[in-house]
Amino acid sequence: MITSMILFPLVGFVINGLWSLGSARSGRRVPPSVSGAIATLAMAAAFVSALVARSQLPSDGAIEVECFRWFTLGTLAVDFKLRLDALSSLFTLVITGVGTLIHLYSISYMSEDEGAGKYFAYLNLFCFMMLNLVLGSTLPQVFLGWEGVGLASYLLIGFWYREEANVSAGQKAFVMNRIGDLGFLIAMFIGFKYSGSLDLAVIEKAVLPGAVATSFVLLVFLACTGKSAQIPLFTWLPDAMAGPTPVSALIHAATMVTSGVYLLARLSPVISQSASGMMVIAGVGAITALITAVIACFQRDIKKVLAYSTVSQLGFMFAACGVGAFGAGVFHVMTHAFFKALLFLGAGSVIHALHGEQDVFKMGGLKSKLPVTFWTFTAGWAAILGLPPFSGFFSKDEILHQALVSRSGSGWVFGILLIAAVLTAFYMTRLYLLVFFGSPRMEKSKFDHAHESPAPMALPLVLLGALSLAGGFAGEPVHLPHPEAALSTPAWVIMIVSVVVAVLGATIAYRRYAGGSASAEPATDVFRIDAIYSRVFGGGLRATASATGWIEERVVQGLIRMVAALTDLSGNMIRVLQVGSAQAYLLMMVIALVVMVLYFLKGMVQYGNL
Amino acid sequence: METSSSLSFLLTVPLLALLISWVIPKALQRLYAIFGSAMILALTVYETSGIIFSVSTEAAKAFFVDQRLEWVPELGLSAGFRLDGYSAWFLVLSALTTLVAFCVRGVWYRKQPRLFVSMGFFLLFALNSAFLATDLITFYLSYEAVFIPMIFMVGIWGENQKASSVFRFFLMSFAGSILMLVSMFWLMSLHHGATGQWSSHLSDILGSVSSAQAGDLVWPCAGFFLAFALKVPLVPFHGWLKDVYVNAPMPGTIWMSAILSKLGVAGIIRFVIPLFPAVLREYQGILLALSALSVVYAALLAVRSDQGKTLLAYSSISHLGFVMLGLFSLSQEGVNAAMLLSVGHAVTSGLLFFLLHQVEERTGDTSLNESKGLASSFPVLFTGIFLAVLASVSLPGTLNFGGEFLVLLNAYRASALCTILAGAGVVLGAVYMLRFFQRLGLGSPGSAGPVEAALKKDLSMTDILMVALLVGIVIYGGINPGIFMKG
Amino acid sequence: MTAFEPWMLLVVSVLVFCVGLLGLILRKNLLVMLMSIELMLNAVNLCFVTFSKMHHLLDGHLTVLFVMTVAAAESAVGLGLVIAMFRNLRSVDSDQIQLLRD
Repeated sequence: MITSMILFPLVGFVINGLWSLGSARSGRRVPPSVSGAIATLAMAAAFVSALVARSQLPSDGAIEVECFRWFTLGTLAVDFKLRLDALSSLFTLVITGVGTLIHLYSISYMSEDEGAGKYFAYLNLFCFMMLNLVLGSTLPQVFLGWEGVGLASYLLIGFWYREEANVSAGQKAFVMNRIGDLGFLIAMFIGFKYSGSLDLAVIEKAVLPGAVATSFVLLVFLACTGKSAQIPLFTWLPDAMAGPTPVSALIHAATMVTSGVYLLARLSPVISQSASGMMVIAGVGAITALITAVIACFQRDIKKVLAYSTVSQLGFMFAACGVGAFGAGVFHVMTHAFFKALLFLGAGSVIHALHGEQDVFKMGGLKSKLPVTFWTFTAGWAAILGLPPFSGFFSKDEILHQALVSRSGSGWVFGILLIAAVLTAFYMTRLYLLVFFGSPRMEKSKFDHAHESPAPMALPLVLLGALSLAGGFAGEPVHLPHPEAALSTPAWVIMIVSVVVAVLGATIAYRRYAGGSASAEPATDVFRIDAIYSRVFGGGLRATASATGWIEERVVQGLIRMVAALTDLSGNMIRVLQVGSAQAYLLMMVIALVVMVLYFLKGMVQYGNL
Repeated sequence: METSSSLSFLLTVPLLALLISWVIPKALQRLYAIFGSAMILALTVYETSGIIFSVSTEAAKAFFVDQRLEWVPELGLSAGFRLDGYSAWFLVLSALTTLVAFCVRGVWYRKQPRLFVSMGFFLLFALNSAFLATDLITFYLSYEAVFIPMIFMVGIWGENQKASSVFRFFLMSFAGSILMLVSMFWLMSLHHGATGQWSSHLSDILGSVSSAQAGDLVWPCAGFFLAFALKVPLVPFHGWLKDVYVNAPMPGTIWMSAILSKLGVAGIIRFVIPLFPAVLREYQGILLALSALSVVYAALLAVRSDQGKTLLAYSSISHLGFVMLGLFSLSQEGVNAAMLLSVGHAVTSGLLFFLLHQVEERTGDTSLNESKGLASSFPVLFTGIFLAVLASVSLPGTLNFGGEFLVLLNAYRASALCTILAGAGVVLGAVYMLRFFQRLGLGSPGSAGPVEAALKKDLSMTDILMVALLVGIVIYGGINPGIFMKG
Repeated sequence: MTAFEPWMLLVVSVLVFCVGLLGLILRKNLLVMLMSIELMLNAVNLCFVTFSKMHHLLDGHLTVLFVMTVAAAESAVGLGLVIAMFRNLRSVDSDQIQLLRD
C-alpha cells in the first residue's frame, strides 16, 4: 500500500509528462480536463492507499517496505526503503488528501491554460517527491524528496515562464533552498561521521557530543529555514506567489513549506540534545512569526498577505519545535494545511472571479457575489484567528501554552508569539473585510461579471471549510514526547488569553476597515529585507564574480602572457648569436670542441691517466 | 572474453573503423561514423560486460585482464594493458562520447569529412590505449597520440581564433607531458638503481618505489601531478581551457570536456595514487584545497559568463574540481565516488554541449545577455536541456548526485573545511545553470530570439534517441549508482 | 738517414686537417670550402691508414674505403648544390647566403 501510494503520482507524472511533451512536439494540445482527470485520479488513488496504509499501521510501530539497495560504498549502505509511522502517516494523509482536493480544484482553474498537461505533470511530480520526503527512511531519501519538491516548486513558480519575473521568482526559490540544502548535506556528513549510518532509525538514536550536536541541529535548521521560509531565508516565499494559485495553496502553504517541521519532528531525539540549538530554533521561529506578521499588515496583494501569513504561521510551528513541543508543531501543520489551503483556494476563487485582480483595495463587497467562497473563507478566517471551535484554535493554543510552560520555553517566546497572534488577527480581518465587505472598488463591469466558481472549484472549498471547522477536535495527531513543564499555568488561562488577543486584533481591524469604503494604502515594504538581501548577497555575489574575473584576466591569463613574453625575450637574446653565416657557426663549433677537449684533458691529467 | 584477446580486440576495432572510413563516400561519412561508433560502443559494452554488469567489485575482479607484451626487453620497454573496474568504464565512456561527438552536425561533415571521421576513430584508439595502459611508456605514447587528432580538430574545423588556440593547447599539453616523461625516466632509473634491471611497467616500478624514500619521490610525483592537473584541469592550471573549448568545433569540445579531461582522472587513479601514496598524504591538505578552490573559482567564473559555451566550459572545471576532491580524499571510497562523478560529468557535459550546439544551429548564437525564450518553440530540445541542467546541478535521482554526495561525504572525513568550501559550489552551480537555462529557454520569445528560429524544427528523431540514451544513463545511474563503482 | 716513423705521418695528418679546417672557416668561396672538406676527410684517411699500420689491423684500411666512397658521394651532392645555388643567386660567396636567418 505504501509503495502504491508513492507510485500513483509517479505514474500520473509520467503519463502527463510524456503526453504533453509528445503533443508539444507535434504542436497539438493536451485537453486540460483529461490530463487533470488523470492527475486527480492518481492522487485520489494515492489518498485511498494512504488511508488503507493508515488503517494497517500498528498503534505504536511502523511499517517498512524495502524497495531496493540504492548505493553502497565502503561502510556506507543506503537502502531505498519506505517507512510509515504515525508521523509520516499524518503527513501522507495531508499531502494526498489536500493534494487531491487541490488537483480537483485545478481542473477548472487551469481549464483555459494551454500548458495544463505540463501543469498536472508537475503537480503529480511534486506529490511524488513530497511522499518520498515523508516516507524516506534514510536521510539521502529524505534529501531526494527535499530537493525534488524544490524542483517541482521551481517549475511551478515559473510555470508561466514567458514572464521574466515569474522565472526569477522560481530561480530565487531554488537558489535560496539550495543554501539550506547545503546545510542538509553537511548535517548528513556529520551524522554519518558520528553514527556510521545515514539511516533515520540510527541517527534518531545517535548521541552526539555537545558541540557536534549543536552544529548538527543548526545545520538541519538551516535546511529548514530554506525549505520552510524562516529568517534568514524566507524572502523567496512571497515571490513564489508568481505561480498559479492552487500551487500556492498546495506547495507554498499546505505541504512543502511544512517539511522543515516534519524534519525537526522526525529528528526530535537528536534535536533535543542541544539546548542552545533549540533556543535558536525557538527564537528564530518566534521572531519570524512576528516580523512577517508585521509585513503582512502592509501588503495589498491578496496572495502576498497570505504568503507572509504562511511564513508567520510556520514561525509558530518552529517556535513550538524549539520549545520541545514537536507534537504541537505537527498539530499546527495539520490544521494550518486545512485552513491555509482553504484561504488560498478562496483567494484563487476571488481572483478567478475578478479575472486576475489581486489587489485587495480593488475588491470589496464580494460577499453576495461569491457566497460559497465567502462562507468557506469565513471558516478559514476564524480558524487562523484561533476562534473556538475552529481547528486553528486548538493547535495555536497548544503552541502558546507550551511556549510558556515548557522547560525550554520562556516568557519572551510566549510574548512574541502573543503579539504575532494579535497581528495575525489584524491582517486577516483586514483582508477579510476588504475583500468581502464594504462597497465594490473595482470597475463596475468587473463586479457585474464576477460569479461563483464552478462545482469542481467549490467542492474542495466546502470540504476544506469543513476540515478547518472540525479538524481541531482530532487533538494532537501524533504523540511525540512532551516537554517537561516548568510552570503550572493551567491550560484554560492560555485559552482565554489567546481568544482575547484574537478578538483584540480583529476589533482593531474592524474599526479601521469596516467603514465601507477603505482608502487605498500604499503597499509598504516595511523592513526592506528583500532589497537589503539583493543589495548585500546579490551584489556580493556579483562583486565576487567580478573579482574572480579580474583575477582570471589579469593574474592567470597574465601569467600565461608573461610566460609567452619571457619565451619571446629569451629568443630575441639568443638570436644575436645566430649571425646566419655557416662559417661563424663552424668557428663556434670548433672553439667549443677545443674547450671540451681541453677540459677532458685537464681531468685526465688530474687523475693521472696521462 | 576473459582471455587477453579482448584487449587487443578493443584496441584494433577503432583502427579498423578508421581504415574503413577511407573507402566510404563523403556523403555517407556521418552515417558511417554514427553507425561505426555505435557498433564500437556495443562491442565495448559486450567485451567489458563481465565487469560493468557484475553485482559487486569482488565479482568483477574475476574479469580483470592483465596483458603484457615485451617490446624492447633490453631497455625494459613493454606494452602493458590492464582492464579493470576503472578502465572498463573509461572505455565505455570514450566510445559513448565518440558516438555523441559524431552525432553533431556541422561544417566538419562538409569540409574534409573523411579526415574528420578517421581522426575521430584514431582518437578513440589512442584514448582506449591510454586508458588501458599499465606501462609508463605505453601510457606516454598513447597520451601524446591523443593530441594529434585534437590539434587537427581545432586547427581545421575550429572557430575564428583557431591558430592561437591550437598553439595554446599544444603548448599546455606538451609542457605537461614533458614533465610526465621526465618523471617516468626518473622512476625508471630509480627502478634500475634498485634492481639493476630496466623496466617501465607499472607493476615492476611499484615494487621498487615502495621501498624508496618519500623524499625522493616528491619531484616525480609533482611531474605527474602537473601533467594531469593541466589536463583535467585544476585551478590554477586552467588558463588554456576557455580559449580552446570555445574555439574548438563542437565535437572537439565534447571530446575534450567529456573524455580528455578523464585522461587526467584515469592517470591519477592508475599511476599517481598507487605510486606516491606517502607524498600525496603529506600534501593532501594543499591538494584538497586546490580542488575546492577549483570548484568555487570556476563556478564564480561561470556565474559571469555571457556565452553558453564559456559557461559550460567553466562549469566543467567546477565539476572536475569535485572529482579531484574525491580523488584526493585518498581513500578507496573517495576514488570510487570520483569515478562515479566522472561518469556523471562525462555524460552530462556531453549532453549539454550536444544540446547547446542544437541551439546554436537554430539561432546562430548562444549569448546569455538576454533571454531568448526558445523553450516554447522547441519544447523537446529544451526538455532535454532542462534534464541535463538538473543532472548538472546534481539533483538527487540523477547519476551526478550520487557522485557529488559520496565525494563530499568522503572528503568531509579528510577535511571538513574544504568540503564546506566546495559545498558553496553546489549553491553556485544552481545559480549559473538556472541562469543558463533561463537565458536560453525562458522569457518572452518575441523579445530577442531571431524570428526565423521559430520556423525551424525541433530535435530530429536520431537526436531524440541520442538524448534519451544519455538521459537514460543519468537516471539509471541515479537509481543504481553502484554499477559505476567497481574499483 | 732517420728511419721512417709512423708518428710522422700523424703529424702530417694533423697539419693537413688544420689546413682544411682553416680553409673551411676563412675562405668564402663555396667551392674552396668543399675542397677544404675533402682535405679534412683525407687527413682523417691518412690517420686511419697510419693507425692500421701501427696496430697491424685491417680495420683502418676498410674504413678508409668507406670514407672515400662517402666522400665521393658527398662532393657530388655538394657540387650539385653549389651549381644550383650559383644558378639561383649568381654567387658562390658563403656570406651572401643567409636565407634561413630571417
